[in-house]
Amino acid sequence: MRRILVTGAATRTGGRLIQNLERSPDTEVFAVDDLDPVERFSSHFERLNIDHLRFARYLLDVKPHTVVHLQTVDRSAIHGATRAHEETTVGAQALFGAIGRCVTVKHVLVKSDGAVYGAGPRSPSVLTVDSKPTRSSGRYQRDLEQMETFVRDMAARHDHVDYTILRLAPVFGPTIRNPLSAYLTLPGVPTLLGFDPRLQLLSERDALDVFLHAVEHPVPGTFNVAGHGQLYLSRILRLGRRVPQPLPKRAFHAALRGLARSGIPLPKHTIAMLKHGRVMDTSGMEETLGFSPILNCRQTAMVAYGRVTGEINW
Amino acid sequence: MNRDALSALTKAELLEQARAAGVRGRSKMRKEELVDALASDDSPVDHIPVDEPGPMLSLPGVSPEDRAEARARRAILTDRLAGLVDQDRKCRWRSIEGHGCGLPTVRESDACALHTDKRRYDAAVPITGRLGLDTWPTLFRHLHLATYDIDPIGLDPVVHEMAWHVLNGLYYDYFRVEVEGIEHIPEDGAGMIVANHGGAALPYDGAMLSLAVLNEAPRPRRVRISATEIFNMLPWVSHLYRKVGAVYASHEDARYLLEHGSLLGVFPEGEAGFMKPVWQAYHVQRFGRGGFVQLAERTGVPIIPVAIVGAEEVHPAVTVSKRLAQLVRFVFPQQRVEEIAVFLNPVPLPVKWRIRFLPPVMPENPGTEPDPLRMLERSEDIRRSVQGALDALLASRGTAFS
Repeated sequence: MRRILVTGAATRTGGRLIQNLERSPDTEVFAVDDLDPVERFSSHFERLNIDHLRFARYLLDVKPHTVVHLQTVDRSAIHGATRAHEETTVGAQALFGAIGRCVTVKHVLVKSDGAVYGAGPRSPSVLTVDSKPTRSSGRYQRDLEQMETFVRDMAARHDHVDYTILRLAPVFGPTIRNPLSAYLTLPGVPTLLGFDPRLQLLSERDALDVFLHAVEHPVPGTFNVAGHGQLYLSRILRLGRRVPQPLPKRAFHAALRGLARSGIPLPKHTIAMLKHGRVMDTSGMEETLGFSPILNCRQTAMVAYGRVTGEINW
Repeated sequence: MNRDALSALTKAELLEQARAAGVRGRSKMRKEELVDALASDDSPVDHIPVDEPGPMLSLPGVSPEDRAEARARRAILTDRLAGLVDQDRKCRWRSIEGHGCGLPTVRESDACALHTDKRRYDAAVPITGRLGLDTWPTLFRHLHLATYDIDPIGLDPVVHEMAWHVLNGLYYDYFRVEVEGIEHIPEDGAGMIVANHGGAALPYDGAMLSLAVLNEAPRPRRVRISATEIFNMLPWVSHLYRKVGAVYASHEDARYLLEHGSLLGVFPEGEAGFMKPVWQAYHVQRFGRGGFVQLAERTGVPIIPVAIVGAEEVHPAVTVSKRLAQLVRFVFPQQRVEEIAVFLNPVPLPVKWRIRFLPPVMPENPGTEPDPLRMLERSEDIRRSVQGALDALLASRGTAFS
């Protein structure tokens, strides 16, 4: 009987991952989060703050073989910036400290984000896992960097555990509700006048599949995960028949503040990406990790906008 | 049809026939000229009156002979395009939402240049296979439907081709670019093209260099011109320069392209070359720190030095101002401009361009790190060879405009 501990069970991807893991034989799933789950699953759910020591004790009690750390999403809109920062960094410190002490853990799977690279006029056009992150004032980016450092330090200190870090491109799909997908599906989308960033997308189905794949095939390393290809923002909106509203800098930021007030808070790292774009090199994902997304970026956008009718051949 | 039968027709009918026969310049012909053109035994392509005004206004530097030559060169290019693209077979590609493609297919394949599987971004296979701005509606349709994928750096093949159609006017009719030594461009695999820089206002030399390789090389290839980070900051420029195939001049990007077998165009003089007053034109400045030599050694690609005569006189700069740059920095604090060239002509001068490609310089120890002094020596050698070729080209020409 293998035991898998999943943090961030309240997220949609987390909930679906648990549903899928439950179905596989000889698997016991333990779910942890500090919010109520969106998806229904039958596994044991424990409502814990991961940055509290109670969580570390819980992990040592459970003695999992695999830990999937999904609670790295940007929750500053729910918890506020300070609380979100503590959850990401102190939570990672507690989690990886506990994993270091728990000798049953063989593999840690960590969800990171492409945001770790930042986005700026001097960042390289195609980011590889070795690319130096652009310096930014965004807190979430620094938190992610710190979290990844915790993972690497822990793995360097303890031989019993391997780690896989997945840096995901923005997840986009018909049911997912992250700020970027809410922004992209607005009827009129405010964009920055004169800028047309290159973006990569990952379909929600592939976002789930990559974690299932990495749980079953634990390949150590850091990988960029995104659908094949890349799209300019203007083409994404054209595919979705959305009307771009190009605004000069000040008006654009005012519009984004308006969106934040009406429940679509775009974080700083996403706003930087909407100016300078971000494209990651995914050759490691295919060659080393052995994962190939089903949908490319264009198809992801078409599916997310509901432009593809009939049965999709998954 | 004989001359009498043709004369009996109305002008509209004659035009219809002229279109079917492919008579050039038919829209500007009078009725009698149309009859002449249709009745003559010559092949329709050759039937161009020599004194027909070209697409450009009559310019002091551009003679009727130049216009005739431009037409002849376009005809050669059209023939070459016909060898690459099969106009009779249409691409059958269909998008998942059901839009058809309808573009002509690339020869020896079943799909058009946008939808072939083995499409390589540095191999420029023309999408429509024709020249002229009448291809724009077709291209706009594909741009609008977004039926194809872009390159990771941001090259949009449709925008690239649209820009190509526009810049061909500059290339053939206005600057009348003359190209020598195009055989030094490798038909396949990576290479680094190193040229002298000039322009003061716009990087015309980058555009003309790419067009030279596109239009004249045995196998048309795209040159990925590298541009400074200022391009990433300016509105509109920030995405258009990527869409037409230029890249941001960072080591990572250059390396990525060279490892994927592209041709990289580099202007190592940088701003020092671009912002030269006119009396320093064609004095090639120092090639930076020689970073391009380091990159070529690491990736093991040949360096092809190029001398470009023309770019440095298009906008003759009377002075290079630091105060103006201060003013620009005050208005746009993000910009990192140190100097601004001041020139008097808003319209580029019709300078006659000459581009000479020099024999490739092979890497000494591919895959290794060259020592810093050797790097500077080799970059100085390449600078000198470019300077020598420039001097030879300048000595052999008459005036700047002919």
